[in-house]
Amino acid sequence: MTNSTEELIRTEKLQKIFVVGGGFARSKLVAVDDVNFHVKKNEIFTLAGESGCGKSTVSKMLLGFLEPSEGNVYYKGKDVANLKKWKEKKGFMKEVQSIFQNPFETFNPLRKVDSYLYDTQKHYGMSKKDKMVEEALEAVGLDISEVKGRYPNEFSGGQLQRISIARALITRPSLLIADEPVSMVDASLRMSIVNLFKELRDNRHVSVLYITHDLATAYYVSDRIGIMFRGNIIEMGDVEQVLMNPKHPYTQMLKESIPEADPNKKWTERISIKELETEEYMRKGCKFAGRCPYVMDKCKDNMPPELQAENRMVRCWLYE
Amino acid sequence: MLNILKTENLKSYYIFETPTEKKEVKAVNDVSIDIEEDKIYGVAGESGCGKSTFLKTVCGLAEPPLRIVGGTIYYLVNGKYVDITKLSQEEYRKLRWEYISYIPQGSMSALNPIIRVKESFKDFVTAHKKIKDEQKDFEEPLRKHLNALGLPMRVLKSYPHQLSGGMRQRVTIALATILNPRIILADEPTTALDVVAQRAVIQLLKDIQSLQKNTIILVTHDMAVHANIADRMLIMYAGVFVEEADTEELFENPLHPYTKFLIGSLPKMGDKSYKVSAPGSPPSLANLPQGCPFHPRCPYVMDICKNERPALVETKPSHKVSCFLNSKERIQND
Repeated sequence: MTNSTEELIRTEKLQKIFVVGGGFARSKLVAVDDVNFHVKKNEIFTLAGESGCGKSTVSKMLLGFLEPSEGNVYYKGKDVANLKKWKEKKGFMKEVQSIFQNPFETFNPLRKVDSYLYDTQKHYGMSKKDKMVEEALEAVGLDISEVKGRYPNEFSGGQLQRISIARALITRPSLLIADEPVSMVDASLRMSIVNLFKELRDNRHVSVLYITHDLATAYYVSDRIGIMFRGNIIEMGDVEQVLMNPKHPYTQMLKESIPEADPNKKWTERISIKELETEEYMRKGCKFAGRCPYVMDKCKDNMPPELQAENRMVRCWLYE
Repeated sequence: MLNILKTENLKSYYIFETPTEKKEVKAVNDVSIDIEEDKIYGVAGESGCGKSTFLKTVCGLAEPPLRIVGGTIYYLVNGKYVDITKLSQEEYRKLRWEYISYIPQGSMSALNPIIRVKESFKDFVTAHKKIKDEQKDFEEPLRKHLNALGLPMRVLKSYPHQLSGGMRQRVTIALATILNPRIILADEPTTALDVVAQRAVIQLLKDIQSLQKNTIILVTHDMAVHANIADRMLIMYAGVFVEEADTEELFENPLHPYTKFLIGSLPKMGDKSYKVSAPGSPPSLANLPQGCPFHPRCPYVMDICKNERPALVETKPSHKVSCFLNSKERIQND
């Protein structure tokens, strides 16, 4: 599927520190730490993890909504932080577009949805003659006559999410950043959105950074995957290898904990939850040490580096 | 097996009236269903199909604009069937929590934020039982209950904000079940939780059911949760139940075209084959199509589907479906 290995976007040692509380209770929370990954041309890369693992913070830093505390984001080899001129910034925005989680919140309920499409077209200096709006809607399986003059409440969640993808496609982007795009869409329509990403990759050569907590759709749609835990990518590689044969103890536990839609695969083992979320963030060594069944002394004090094991990156001392 | 809950032609609509027009949202549209004792039922369907409204209605929580327009809701209380739509407030208050328990959607935020969890338990228990000896009548059963459910004792001394979302959810479930209710109505108890916390909640509900031998009706859109916990499943579409079967049977052998789409489109690990969603989108409950509500999206649509509504009929032993492909029985229009 990936015939080109050219990198579109790359992060190096990306870090984000939030300050929590004020006055004497001030403390730092490292939400994202030392995140390195890249998205190639013509591929769907998934960033997966539970809520609070920092995956949305990463997407916000890529889009420029948040400034990284440390580290850099490179787009086609250029550091995004150095894009000072408006024209350069706009060029970056034109090529990297985003889709958000809740389609009902994306659109102002008092504005007609087609105005978003035409505004985007105008904003990026394209004339109506180019028929960009019509073309983008066609790509997501809608017709302009279905959309024109209608308000957001006249559409279902799935349709609105399609329109929001169409809006992103108007600028002919090379990369779509989709943060939980299907979690608010009904089960019976969810796969149509996911299939759309596949189509965009195959027919329009759009890369997608798919951010989700749903490993089943991630497996279905993506080429490569990075599993995040408490701010770090702890395992990254080919989706088939990472999800079917996970190496990091956290990925193994995560995969085991996800309920499968098959009554013959019910859980038999019992689990117990001990540690609190904030305690894990504050840990010095491996953040998973408190729950890991294979924990060693080394894990408690030292964060494991990015190690290579069986064609993938794993952050675990077991594979040293 | 006795039926603990029985509804007959239950209709509950959201009614909005203005001087010029009247709008009816038919969220529960003529539902007749039997719920057996000592089982976990899973109600599945997409958002806006009326599954939460069904739960609210059978729980007796219908408040305007939601109104019960017709039908009956019978509960088996001490060997007698009681219609809760005809009970006085005081009689119903006695049934609530002791007999019928309800875990509402987003119940993680149901705990009072300014009192400790133990005080919440105390408020709850004193409203239904007389406590003479605090140690014997309240503390002991409470500790026993939490122990049995595997919750740590430190939660009792905590304020709700000190607990994680998953823990709060489990505390709320413990609270809802402390009076040993016979039927528990749970509305999306695992939504908005992390996978690990979700698993803990499912485990907890299963434990409660096997300890107290009661009935759980669990509403969620997540088919994977149903596959793990439910003994029997109900599929809801546009205000009616379109299929009812044991979980294994339903996943292996769905009969209704909607259920087929629902199950066929589930992504699975280790399976990259192409999955298709149902075409179109669900109808608005305020403006239902004539005939079978699924007919505009159905690939097997026939002429009869456009005019008549199919009834929920048992076509195989303990497998009910409402579709003209399987049975010609229809709902008589009144």
